[in-house]
Amino acid sequence: MFARRAAQRLLEIRQVFRQSPQASRSFSSALNFHLDTPDNNPNNQWKFSETNNQKVKEILSFYPTNYKQSAVIPLLDLAQQQHGGWLPVSAMNEVARIIEVAPIRVYEVATFYSMFNRSKVGKYHLLVCGTTPCMIRGSREIEEALLNHLGVKRNEVTKDGLFSVGEMECMGCCVNAPMITIADYSNGSEGYTYNYIEDVTPKRVVEIVEMLKRGEKPPPGTQNPNRFKCAPEGGHKTLLGEPKPPPCRDLDAC
Amino acid sequence: MGLGSLTSRAMIRRASTILNTTRSHNFSLVRSIVSTPELKNTASAAAEATPDPPLPPPRPPVNNARVHFPNPEDAIEVFVDGYSVKVPKGFTVLQACEVAGVDIPRFCYHSRLSIAGNCRMCLVEVEKSPKPVASCAMPALPGMKIKTDTPIAKKAREGVMEFLLMNHPLDCPICDQGGECDLQDQSMAFGSDRGRFTEMKRSVVDKNLGPLVKTVMTRCIQCTRCVRFASEVAGVEDLGILGRGSGEEIGTYVEQLMTSELSGNVIDICPVGALTSKPFAFKARNWELKGTESIDVTDAVGSNIRIDSRGPEVMRITPRLNEDVNEEWISDKTRFCYDGLKRQRLNDPMIRGSDGRFKAVSWRDALDVIAEVMHKVKPEEIVGVAGKLSDAESMMALKDFLNKMGSNNIWCEGNGGQPQADLRSGYLLNTGIADLETADVFLLIGTQPRVEAAMVNARIRKAVRSNHAKVGYIGPATDLNYDYEHLGTGPQTLQEIAEGTHSFFSAIKNAKNPAIVVGAGLFEREDKDAILSIVETIAKSANVIRPDWNGLNVLLLNAAQAASLDLGLVPESDKSIESAKFLYLMGADDVNMDKVPSDAFVVYQGHHGDQGVYRANVILPASAFSEKEGTYANTEGRAQQTVPAVPTVGDARDDWKIIRALSETAGVNLPYDSLIDVRERIRTVAPNLLSMDEREPATFSTLIKPEIKKEINPVPFKPSIENFYMTDSITRASKIMAQCSSQLLKK
Amino acid sequence: MASIVRNTFKAIKEKGLGTFLRELREEGYLRCLPDGNLLQTKIHNIGGKVVGVDLYGNKYYENLNAQYGRHRWVEYASKNRYNASQVPPEWHGWLHHVTDHTGDEILMLKPSRYGIGHKENFTGEGDEKIYHSKGHALNPGQRDWTRYQSWQPGKN
Repeated sequence: MFARRAAQRLLEIRQVFRQSPQASRSFSSALNFHLDTPDNNPNNQWKFSETNNQKVKEILSFYPTNYKQSAVIPLLDLAQQQHGGWLPVSAMNEVARIIEVAPIRVYEVATFYSMFNRSKVGKYHLLVCGTTPCMIRGSREIEEALLNHLGVKRNEVTKDGLFSVGEMECMGCCVNAPMITIADYSNGSEGYTYNYIEDVTPKRVVEIVEMLKRGEKPPPGTQNPNRFKCAPEGGHKTLLGEPKPPPCRDLDAC
Repeated sequence: MGLGSLTSRAMIRRASTILNTTRSHNFSLVRSIVSTPELKNTASAAAEATPDPPLPPPRPPVNNARVHFPNPEDAIEVFVDGYSVKVPKGFTVLQACEVAGVDIPRFCYHSRLSIAGNCRMCLVEVEKSPKPVASCAMPALPGMKIKTDTPIAKKAREGVMEFLLMNHPLDCPICDQGGECDLQDQSMAFGSDRGRFTEMKRSVVDKNLGPLVKTVMTRCIQCTRCVRFASEVAGVEDLGILGRGSGEEIGTYVEQLMTSELSGNVIDICPVGALTSKPFAFKARNWELKGTESIDVTDAVGSNIRIDSRGPEVMRITPRLNEDVNEEWISDKTRFCYDGLKRQRLNDPMIRGSDGRFKAVSWRDALDVIAEVMHKVKPEEIVGVAGKLSDAESMMALKDFLNKMGSNNIWCEGNGGQPQADLRSGYLLNTGIADLETADVFLLIGTQPRVEAAMVNARIRKAVRSNHAKVGYIGPATDLNYDYEHLGTGPQTLQEIAEGTHSFFSAIKNAKNPAIVVGAGLFEREDKDAILSIVETIAKSANVIRPDWNGLNVLLLNAAQAASLDLGLVPESDKSIESAKFLYLMGADDVNMDKVPSDAFVVYQGHHGDQGVYRANVILPASAFSEKEGTYANTEGRAQQTVPAVPTVGDARDDWKIIRALSETAGVNLPYDSLIDVRERIRTVAPNLLSMDEREPATFSTLIKPEIKKEINPVPFKPSIENFYMTDSITRASKIMAQCSSQLLKK
Repeated sequence: MASIVRNTFKAIKEKGLGTFLRELREEGYLRCLPDGNLLQTKIHNIGGKVVGVDLYGNKYYENLNAQYGRHRWVEYASKNRYNASQVPPEWHGWLHHVTDHTGDEILMLKPSRYGIGHKENFTGEGDEKIYHSKGHALNPGQRDWTRYQSWQPGKN
């Protein structure tokens, strides 16, 4: 009896130590080097579209001519919107050509920022917040619901190329946790939206995905019908009356 | 992160145990790093507790660094560990500490690269600063009180070291950097005796940077020295830092090789074993090697090198600091040509028999045969050619010997076109390699410094980067690693500039320190005198030569060239080789053998079975530059010496000794028996070759030369070096250089 | 003493005089006359127990009644040319009181891959018998220390 319990305990302890490395320490999910694929290689020609060329000119006009390289992030963002949410290597090369720096300087920026995707994403890129407040409010369940519904793994694109699910760090709206972001690349850089969907539940995200599939636009912001923006459920609870002015010396009395 | 909590928990636990058990005053020191108010208390408490111990005597500066005050009023006084030090304004705290003789540990800081400040190893305590400061990035301020060995500074370094070792694999036993690793040394000196990291270490995919640099990127500590070196000094923006946080890594993102001619230097600047030498991998440990401080002969720069040898074998070549020549970089050809010293070596005297095959013979037999033939031919049919790698002593001996035999047709490779050797200023880099940095306009005429003299090119690039120097280039289209204006391809452009019609002329004229660099490849042209005359016209009218600045330069191609011109090894007639009956090749492999008459008797004296031996009748084995003591003058006229690092191979002898022995066999004794005697002889011809490591500037300016009115030939300039990696017999024998030229020169 | 003589006569009677004399020579009794060490060993052997015989024929004796420290000894197989280096390593420990395991026991523990046999020290016995390092000029399989590759004529 005692021996069996001891063995069981030993097994438990061993399992604790045998945690998979990914679980104990997570590294950047994307590769920091480029692998040639047919749709992503430096030989592909990539150009900004006509309308985006105007935008490029406008962006460049914000910066002094000798500091063109400052435009790297806006230009990469524009290129990403134009290319359906991700940056092929040829697009980065094009940006490097425009701002007149070595391509590696653009790669450095693009690999640094996690919001630049260097592999294919869906037309609707759903980003689930994974930071502590959202996690406490159930972001893991939400991600699980999304992944189960779409039948994909994280950072994988659905077969129809419509959806992909990623994780993101704090979006700064913890009061409405949990939340997801929908980066909508379906209409190119003109119709690009980047909306927060807040106060979601596992059921609600599935509904939102279905809405997107039907081509409807889910309403941004909180999904709780009883809340208005960030206000508490059922309306304001504090500061209902006229706020009391700060105490002040009665000047007339003097 | 889990790590953060782990660390703080460990700290708290450690602190509380100390509190509970020992109650020693150490407690406050341990806690001090954790929270700020206590840190302050600690400092004051420590000050009260220990009433100033007697200060040890001040230390001399690190590496005997001298402080140069450009402006004496700008001196500021700082206190390092209580000692007052005067440093110029703009010095960093780290530099001030170095002047005070305190060596601050560092990984990312390198004196020749920009400051990154990302390794945090150089943390020191500065009084009135709330936290330790990174000394490499902090400018020294007047009256700053820097403390480098306080508990806080030590604790900070220990903490940084623990974080650095967190992701560093402990594979020192199989790491090529082991023994000369900054991380190894500094973790011994400043690190803790244990780590608290229990999780998985990260691993990084290795990158392929070409046949020279081996990468083990898991060992990388992200100091970014290589990235900064590549973009600032080497001028190839290939490397970058990709990703962020713990996923950060050095790489090229897209797969590409590092195609710089200075790429080998990243091996030296890498403080860990992430970038190591591929040819040297697993060959030897650095403590087994014997270092010999010598001179490189693969180009005319004369880079200072250390030849590391083990037994009879050269294992590697590393640079040696010389601010005036190569700073602390060397080119890849210099660094990796050493395996050529072990291949295709001539080790026995050989005579070609009547059947056309070579037969090994004794020295006496070989010399007898040569002497016999030499007495049969007419004196004017004797021709001697010294090779690219010949030292001054052997060239002196060759010239004396053949002169005694009655011939004056002796020249050095590269001097075939009878250049003017009368005025030293006519063939030297008069500005000096180091002073090229101060130039602000360059005119490169028929020279590609990147392949001809990579270290000179690095200086020009430095000038382009730091004073935004303008570079004009006349010659075939080429890839210099800085921005340049391609003015033209032939001498006509030069003529336009001389006439003042070209726009670049005003740039030269208005420049403060203009530098004109003429390639020595022009010496082979028929119209070289006319071209040089035009260049002198430009120099005159643009005021390039002033009492304080001589901007008219010639960039030589070979290590032997400057000394040979000093010694007057210039052919008497340019048709001498066609009429030669006896040809003495002293390591000369690039002589056009088709021109040699078929009945000529050819003696090849050299160390490699290269192009020269195939036409030879007698082969005399000589020693290579790593095996002999010899004087070389570099392109700026600086005499330097090689030192024997390894024994000679087989039966080979020093060049000058062979000629001395031959002279005795031939009955015309040369009057010297030792190297000292040869140098005494050189003193009568070119005394500047004896002032070692000193650059003797040319006395007379080229401008006193009468102008030559000759027609120029409108043929465009040709590149003088086709393949950077294979220029002489050593590099042509080298396997590594062959790999480089097949992989890196591919377009 | 009398018993020794009696035994001797008994042995001569059993084996014949020729065989007896040959054995006497092979066992080294004749060498005892000029070699005092061997004589002493032979005398010491009386009452001693043979613990084992090694590969080379050396006999290992033990006599627990002898003076402590002299209770283990070896009689070398070679009677005219013997030295301490003839003791193989497995018996060395037993002989020098390092262990109580005899050489036979230790041999059973020895993994077969450490298969290089014991070799006695031949110093002074002639160059061909002496061990020479791989770089030594007298080693017939001397390693080639040439670290360069010479140019071979006749390729053109």
